[in-house]
Amino acid sequence: MSHHDKPAGKKSEGWEPKIVAIVCNWCTYAGADLAGISRIQYPPNVRIIRVPCTGRINPFYVVKALQAGADGVLVSGCHPGECHYISGNLSARRKFATLKSFLNYIGIEDGRTTFTWVSASEGERFAQVIKGVTERVKALGPATKLVKNLRDAAVAVAK
Amino acid sequence: MEKVEKKLREEAKKLLADKKVDVIVGYEAGTLPLTATPVFITTPEEADKLVWNPFCQHNLAKYVHDLISAHKESQKRLKPDDRKRKVVGVVTKGCTSRSLVIHLQERQYERLDISILGVPCTGYADRRKLAAKLGGEDILEGTLEGANLKIKTASGEKTVALKDVLAGNCVTCRFNNPVISDMMLGEPAPAMNPAAEYAEIDEFEKLSPEERWAYFEKEMAKCIRCAACRQACPSCYCKVCFAEQSMPQWVGISEDPSDTQVFQFMRMYHMVGRCVDCGSCVSVCPMGVDLRKFLKKLDKDCFVLFNQRAGEKVDFPAPLQDQRMDDKEEFIYSPGGGH
Ligand code: SF4
Ligand code: SF4
Ligand code: SF4
Repeated sequence: MSHHDKPAGKKSEGWEPKIVAIVCNWCTYAGADLAGISRIQYPPNVRIIRVPCTGRINPFYVVKALQAGADGVLVSGCHPGECHYISGNLSARRKFATLKSFLNYIGIEDGRTTFTWVSASEGERFAQVIKGVTERVKALGPATKLVKNLRDAAVAVAK
Repeated sequence: MEKVEKKLREEAKKLLADKKVDVIVGYEAGTLPLTATPVFITTPEEADKLVWNPFCQHNLAKYVHDLISAHKESQKRLKPDDRKRKVVGVVTKGCTSRSLVIHLQERQYERLDISILGVPCTGYADRRKLAAKLGGEDILEGTLEGANLKIKTASGEKTVALKDVLAGNCVTCRFNNPVISDMMLGEPAPAMNPAAEYAEIDEFEKLSPEERWAYFEKEMAKCIRCAACRQACPSCYCKVCFAEQSMPQWVGISEDPSDTQVFQFMRMYHMVGRCVDCGSCVSVCPMGVDLRKFLKKLDKDCFVLFNQRAGEKVDFPAPLQDQRMDDKEEFIYSPGGGH
């Protein structure tokens, strides 16, 4: 994809992606904790948002994050069958299967949104996921689609 | 078709005279030639206004929901013992019946609150397609003669085959006969062409992400956010739509294109397993936004992923109300492999 019409401050040179990770309290957040406690290194590009359960995540969070300029969004929860609330992640799986497919359909790059499972005991997997997602998003470059650019538009008008 | 109309009037009269229903939502002739418009009939005498023809476009389930929820709201002031049921009769084609099923699945009202007058449907004429055939000329007079429309415009008489102007959603409709009804007002209509229902979606999927985005951007740029699509949609019955919520404010009201894109994307996403492809949103859109190109994708995904179609079965949870341990999950990322 082209990087020419990127908003200021988002030059691809030296650019580091901003990734929003929305994770459930019981599994993935604990997995992230474990990664920290075990001193496993992973890229510093993610901002973690903790929610009780993936089933609680309004798909709008993902879309809002993209609109607000996140270069990538990760959603992660307990593995199927291990949900603290029994089936919250199974409801989430249906929502996110259709959400991701619909985002891809309108032309959002596949690597912008990632859905996965990380359990409380998988500190290593958490680090791997963050590494993988960061690489995917880096390869895509800064996000431009669905992104709100009002400020940049105002600057352009002023010029 | 005339037979169905005659039977419809008879049955409507009976239902109203016997006080089996309080109101019947149906169609009457519109004020312009070759149009029909929703009508609310409350007395047997008025039942002769009812029509059934290929101009009956709107999905009347919208009004059923409106009427019943307004009635229930008004009953809240009464003691439980004094509350009365209001029964709404509704002229129901295939898509309307599936919207009713969705309302029932979503517990919006009870089955006893509605009386379904099922009509076999062979599709409706798309106003835009018709206008294109007539080169945009106004229709001065028009009649339906068999499979053809005889139309008089300023430049003369024209004949248009109905099948050439059927709405896209009708051409490939899988459920042109109601999936539930209390009575059927005619023999089931012959099948349409459901085999081709996802052809347009399959084609679109073959384009590159950039091409798809360009199309989405272009279509959304037409949208003036009048929300007519939402107002017409039977599945959009939320008391407060996210589009108007202010805490949190889900969508901005600026003229940044992303605000419109996000509004549309989420309005459509709310239709997963809930869009019956009735075309009401498309037909009311003043800007001709190609909503169907996106909505139909949701229908396809629902079928591919969950083996379900919106409003198909009444005793079955809607796709997003349901879940299975073995649901497909190819989209789940696994680091260092898979996806
Ligand atoms: S989204 Fe449009 S086509 Fe789908 S049910 Fe609503 S009005 Fe009908
Ligand atoms: S767009 Fe969503 S929130 Fe708004 S009325 Fe429709 S279903 Fe409800
Ligand atoms: S009816 Fe058309 S113009 Fe109005 S909000 Fe819907 S898509 Fe936009």
